[in-house]
Amino acid sequence: MFDPIMEQIQSLAQDAWLFLIGLLIIVAMLGALYYVLQGTAGAAFGGGRMTSTAILGAVGIVILVLFAFLVLPRLGELIQSLAPGPPF
Amino acid sequence: MAEVTDLILSVLRQAWLALAGGLAAVAVLALLSQTLRAAAGSALSARFWVWQAISAGAAVLILALFGLLGAPALAQAANQALPGSSGCGPVAELGALAAALIAALVALRLLRTTFAAGGSAPLSGALVEAAEAVFGMLLASAATPLAAHFLGAC
Repeated sequence: MFDPIMEQIQSLAQDAWLFLIGLLIIVAMLGALYYVLQGTAGAAFGGGRMTSTAILGAVGIVILVLFAFLVLPRLGELIQSLAPGPPF
Repeated sequence: MAEVTDLILSVLRQAWLALAGGLAAVAVLALLSQTLRAAAGSALSARFWVWQAISAGAAVLILALFGLLGAPALAQAANQALPGSSGCGPVAELGALAAALIAALVALRLLRTTFAAGGSAPLSGALVEAAEAVFGMLLASAATPLAAHFLGAC
């Protein structure tokens, strides 16, 4: 009885997953480009603090993207494997 | 009576599986959404936004673990803690049917409240609903046969 509903929920969730992944790639690329620009400007004008902030920001974005692409699918598999059978 | 109980319980079991699958899917999507929020905050140099996203992601993970691990354990504990129904004849069967149905509904309500707790409903609502349903089970499994005995049906 609930199988069609479950299929609809799964297809919606898959679409949402792909949309969020695409959005994450765009945001990460824009953020990385911004930090590259900031780092370049800092290097050009002799702003050491500006450059180091830009490098740290870019590294932070790379870590977040790696977390989303490597850790989250594993975490999702873990959560799905924890889904319990009915306790009644 | 036993066939009717099995039929209703099988529908409720399917509902449980659908709800648990939906909870897992929504939890994973919420985690991805919080990661996106943290990335956006990082790109905009908004530190507060990043910390907010990290704490919200941790809260989603804890809620999902509570829903998938804690809710079934609570439902099982409530189901096993109740005494077997006394009484005789159809009254005892009716009490057993009502207790089984209420136990299934308790588990479903607990999971649904955990599902809603990710939005606006507080998690304490799930626990209040569990306690409320345990009292319902107690009434159905014990009070109905006792009343029948008092009235002279047994």
